[in-house]
Parts: sequence; C-alpha cells; structure tokens
Amino acid sequence: MSERCGVVVAHSRLAEGLLAALARVAGEQENLWAVSNHGLDGDELYEEIAGILEERGAGRDAYLLSDMDGGSCGQVCRRLLADGRVRGVFFGVNLPLLVEFVFLQVESPEEFVTATVEKSRKALGARP
Amino acid sequence: MSVVLYRVDERLIHGQVVVGWARRLSPRRIIVVDDELAADELEQSIYRTGLPVDIRADFWSVAEAVSRLPAVEASDEPAFVLTASLSTMARLAKDGLVVGEINVGAIHRGEGRKRVLPYVSLGPEEQRLIDEMERAGVRVVARDVPTAPAVRLIERERG
Repeated sequence: MSERCGVVVAHSRLAEGLLAALARVAGEQENLWAVSNHGLDGDELYEEIAGILEERGAGRDAYLLSDMDGGSCGQVCRRLLADGRVRGVFFGVNLPLLVEFVFLQVESPEEFVTATVEKSRKALGARP
Repeated sequence: MSVVLYRVDERLIHGQVVVGWARRLSPRRIIVVDDELAADELEQSIYRTGLPVDIRADFWSVAEAVSRLPAVEASDEPAFVLTASLSTMARLAKDGLVVGEINVGAIHRGEGRKRVLPYVSLGPEEQRLIDEMERAGVRVVARDVPTAPAVRLIERERG
C-alpha cells in the first residue's frame, strides 16, 4: 500500500480551519496541506496546488479534498485530476472525511476513495 | 493486558478519545468510571451517540469499577478506562486497578490550579495525587493526542 497525501482546497479559511480541527482530535498530520482560493484566479490556484504536490507529495499517492463540487475550488481540482496530477478528488470535505482519509487502510486507490466516502457519509445526520 | 489506555479527561468520551486514541489502539469497549454518570441514563445516551459502531461504552460507579475491573483486565478484549478527574483514577490506582501509565488528556483551570500545559492545570490536590501514584509505580503522563509529545507531570510540577 502506497503512502498517501492530500491537499484540502476550499474557500476563505475553511481548509486551514479543518486541518486545525483535525489536529485537535487526531494529532498533527504531516501529509495534509491547506490551500485557500482567496485572491487567486483559477490558473493561480492550479499552480499553487501543483507546486505543493511537486514539492511535498513526490512519491506518494496524492488526493485533493475540495469543499464543494462545482465551485471554483472543485473545478480546479477536476482539472488537476484530468491532468493526472492526483489519484482522486473528494468533494464536500468535512471533519469525518478527513478522519477517514488519515486512518483508513485499504489497498487500492479506487477502493480507498469509495470506502472513505462511504464511511464519512455515515457521519452525516440530523435529528428533528 | 486488556486495558490499553487509562485516561483522565474532563470531557470523557469526545473527539480525541474516539478518533485520536481509538483509531490507534482499537478498543472494543470504553469504560467510564464516574458516580454521577453511572446514574444518569440521558447523559450516557448522549455520550454513546459519538461512538463508532464497533465500540461499546459502559458507565460504572467507582464501587462497580473496583469489583469489575479485574475481570476486564483479565479478558482479551481491549478497553479504555476513562475518568473525569485525577481523584477518581487515583482511587482506582490505590486498589491496584491501574497498570503502567495514566494518560492525562484534559484537566482545565479551577480554583487553586495553575496551568502547566495548554490543556492541563494542576492544584495542590492534583499534585499530591500525582506524587502518590508515581510513588506507587504508576507513571502519570500528559498527552492529549497520540502524535503529541508525552509530558511526565511529576517533572512538570517540579519545574
């Protein structure tokens, strides 16, 4: 099983906040980084993420974790996936998804993506 | 040994326990020792909602824990033992029910307590209990999550 890493890509300070919250419950993670789209156009955001992956993610299975599909962050993540820069993209990142991302142990990247989403989806709930 | 973590944490079952520690140590049960909680089913149900499906929680009074923990220790099922206060854990340690190390997750500020770490404050009573447990051969170590450095509190309190 390859080592994995990820970039959380989100609007405003959400990515940074999510990783700070993750550190509080699961400890500091050396394989996850935060990127905000604040002040960046699509090309700049693309380069920012690609730069992080090249610099820190070499030799690892890289994933992107975007706040929502269809937004500017999600669009750039889809482009990076299409260009073969990452193994997969998650949309709708939240704390349960990040927890699964850190701890889930599965063999293939395909299985990893499916199982991570399935498990974190179960964490969504509501009471009337 | 089937108790894989003895932890003092005012918040009892919460994110650091369920995610940080449980994902690394894989307990099958979490035993909370607390006289008030042992008699409060509503509070117990709230704590249980945050648990993964493969971990169950028991809420025991101190007296119940004294009689039942030896069987837990002798079983093969990995367990966490949680208390909200050092005094409850010290009571268990006094009866020889704590083996090896006590993990301190959070003791917040209170009257007469001085902050020794961002998540641990100690007063004279806590310091006395730490000294007592250390003398009995139980290490008392602060560490909120597994990736954080372990800080032995007897050294911290002596500065």
